[in-house]
Amino acid sequence: MPDVCFYFQVHQPWRLHPYGVFDIGKSHDYFDDRANQAILEKVATRCYRPMNALLEELVAKHDGRFKASFSISGSALDQLERWAPDVIASYQRLAATGCVELLGETHHHSLAGVAHPGEFAAQVALHAARIEALFGRRPQVFRNTELMFSDALAGPIAALGFRGVLAEGAERVLGWRSPNFVYASRPEPALGLLLKNYRLSDDIAFRFGDRGWSEHPLSVEKFAGWIHAVNGCGTVVNLFMDYETFGEHQWAETGIFEFMRRLPDAILDHADGGFVTPSEALARHPAAGTAEFRDWVSWADSERDLTAWLGNRMQRAALEQLMALREPVRATGDPALLETWRRLSTSDHLYYMCTKYFADGDVHKYFSPWDSPYEAHIAFMNVLADLGQRVGAAVR
Amino acid sequence: MLGWEFPPYFAGGVGVVCEALTRSLVGRGHQITYLMPLAPPAPGAPGVELIEPGADAGAPGLELVGITARLHSYAAGAGPRIRIPGEVPPPAPRPLYGPDLLSEVDRFAARAVEIARARRAAPDLIHAHDWTTFPAGVALRRALGRPLVAHVHITEFDKSGGAHADPRVYEIERAGMQAADRVVAVSRRVAAVCSERYGVDPARIRVVYNGVDADTRPAGPAHLPGPVVLFLGRVTLQKGPDWFVEAARRVLDAEPRATFVLAGTGDMLPRVIERAAALGIADRMRFPGFVDRERASELFGLADVFVMPSVSEPFGIVPLEAMERGVPVIVSRQSGASELLRNALKVDFWDVEGLAARIVSLLRYRALATELEEAGRAEAQELDWDWVAERTEAVYREVVHA
Repeated sequence: MPDVCFYFQVHQPWRLHPYGVFDIGKSHDYFDDRANQAILEKVATRCYRPMNALLEELVAKHDGRFKASFSISGSALDQLERWAPDVIASYQRLAATGCVELLGETHHHSLAGVAHPGEFAAQVALHAARIEALFGRRPQVFRNTELMFSDALAGPIAALGFRGVLAEGAERVLGWRSPNFVYASRPEPALGLLLKNYRLSDDIAFRFGDRGWSEHPLSVEKFAGWIHAVNGCGTVVNLFMDYETFGEHQWAETGIFEFMRRLPDAILDHADGGFVTPSEALARHPAAGTAEFRDWVSWADSERDLTAWLGNRMQRAALEQLMALREPVRATGDPALLETWRRLSTSDHLYYMCTKYFADGDVHKYFSPWDSPYEAHIAFMNVLADLGQRVGAAVR
Repeated sequence: MLGWEFPPYFAGGVGVVCEALTRSLVGRGHQITYLMPLAPPAPGAPGVELIEPGADAGAPGLELVGITARLHSYAAGAGPRIRIPGEVPPPAPRPLYGPDLLSEVDRFAARAVEIARARRAAPDLIHAHDWTTFPAGVALRRALGRPLVAHVHITEFDKSGGAHADPRVYEIERAGMQAADRVVAVSRRVAAVCSERYGVDPARIRVVYNGVDADTRPAGPAHLPGPVVLFLGRVTLQKGPDWFVEAARRVLDAEPRATFVLAGTGDMLPRVIERAAALGIADRMRFPGFVDRERASELFGLADVFVMPSVSEPFGIVPLEAMERGVPVIVSRQSGASELLRNALKVDFWDVEGLAARIVSLLRYRALATELEEAGRAEAQELDWDWVAERTEAVYREVVHA
């Protein structure tokens, strides 16, 4: 039986007000704190608190044999500290067990890795320091925003001291090969790659509560059977998903919490079955080969590329204009302005401008606070224009 | 098919819609006899004129049958008109609405039955457009024993802003909708009015949105020096031209080079012109008056933004035409079109600040405008009349097989 490696993404963006063009120059109040607080509290109630409690229960019950990993974005940490500090405390308890590993990422869950190497390094360092301060350990393994990865990022990640990266197990990278092995990065052979098994991950994250799915309802025995079936052609099954799977995307009524409560038993029932953290997976299993990420790969949509964030010209213009403000903002030496600018670098703002309505659009609509991608773009550009005025740079 | 207008014998948008739908249905293999009031009286059979049967429409499945009437159009009598220098005159008012419209409606119904009997007509179904033809639809349904589809493009409540619905017209609308086997509404807005104000069982209502055909006219002449924001429609309370002017004032604070074209005519035009002068923006506005389809096409070629700020709009087909021409569109949420369109900006008609802000955004942010141009055009091309005819056919199948 292969090892099972759970990874959960925890992230909250600083959503914008519907900041209008006539607000430019008059108001510098960009972020909708009321909405951000309301959403954070809702997600904390439905997902973070019950699921953290469940994980604490599982770690205790299985005497250290149940393991999982998280990446928690800096903006999520900021919001939790402000509006739900008890959740931070529960993550600290989980981290202290040694069974839960915290991964590195860009502090503001940004596209800096795609757009700006200097900003990427700065945000990763910021996040690593934050994680070390809160949880006592510097991250060893990296997970870039929404699993965006390409060979171009391998060098910078290795240079920042990470031993491995989580990425999407996309067919165009793997070809006929299985995602259930550790791979080495082609340009950085010392950098290990853990690739998401998207079929098994999505069985939990997307399909679990779908009554139209032929495997519904999914029992722990069935799922453990699928994991077990990997035996002999894989060493680690990487189950990577958004933490909001638990209680938000899959409501408690679907039985998702019960499923997770009983899953470790079913996995550990097999004599050689077990859970690993990403660091353990990389230490235990040598690379089975190299994986080449010639183009950007992410975990979004059926395309698994960057088109959810940079698929249309509004998105590309927004990122370009944002990055053009980096130097003028830094030149002010004002840390509050830099933090504001970094909040705007969060990937969600670009995601809200996505116009891929037809195939994948429902997901985008569900996750967007805006009526339309056009309204998202307008508010973002207006905010950039105001920020630009404050630092003496024009935005059109 | 029972209609009150059919181009070139038409006055309002409903006539355009009826023609486009009818031609698309014929193109899909349906045989349609189209009955409509027509003047002047033709020689021959008293009260009945057959206009080039099978030829007028350029389609073998279509026959237009005119029933003589002494009526006036929607546009005539729509209030005082003012002359605008250089204006293309509107078509001479066709005698469609008469001094006694209600008796004409009754007479149309009676003659429709006589004609159907004389021709031993045996249609699969009867399709009637708006209240003026509903009595004819109901009478034919009774006489021929065939199902009736009542197509609601606009109700008395939309025309009167909800307040002063003529009780006689209301009663005719209600009786027609009640008798119909299916009611087709051009939007969910209209469907809601049909069920809430006219008591139609929602199970008998189907929403079929309008569409738009490709405009193959060449692009207009040279652009104006600054950006152009366009309003195109009847200048009446229902269409919200006053909100357009108020928004223009606000936009000009931020984009002083913009020009606002308010095209169309109607009873509110004098007031709107006076308001523009009072706001001190008369030099930034143009009032070309009534525009025919040629001029409309030219204006779309000039425009950087099209605005439909309607206070109440059952559907609103002009934004689809603008999108089809690659013009970014802002529509009021109080329009049926806003339910349908994805690649358009939407705003409440009373939100002057919001409308102005969206206009400015479209003028400033190039990527936004280009994205809306391209996605809007692609969307409008999908919403062609064949798509409408297909959805209409689905309603036909329900009543014919019932």
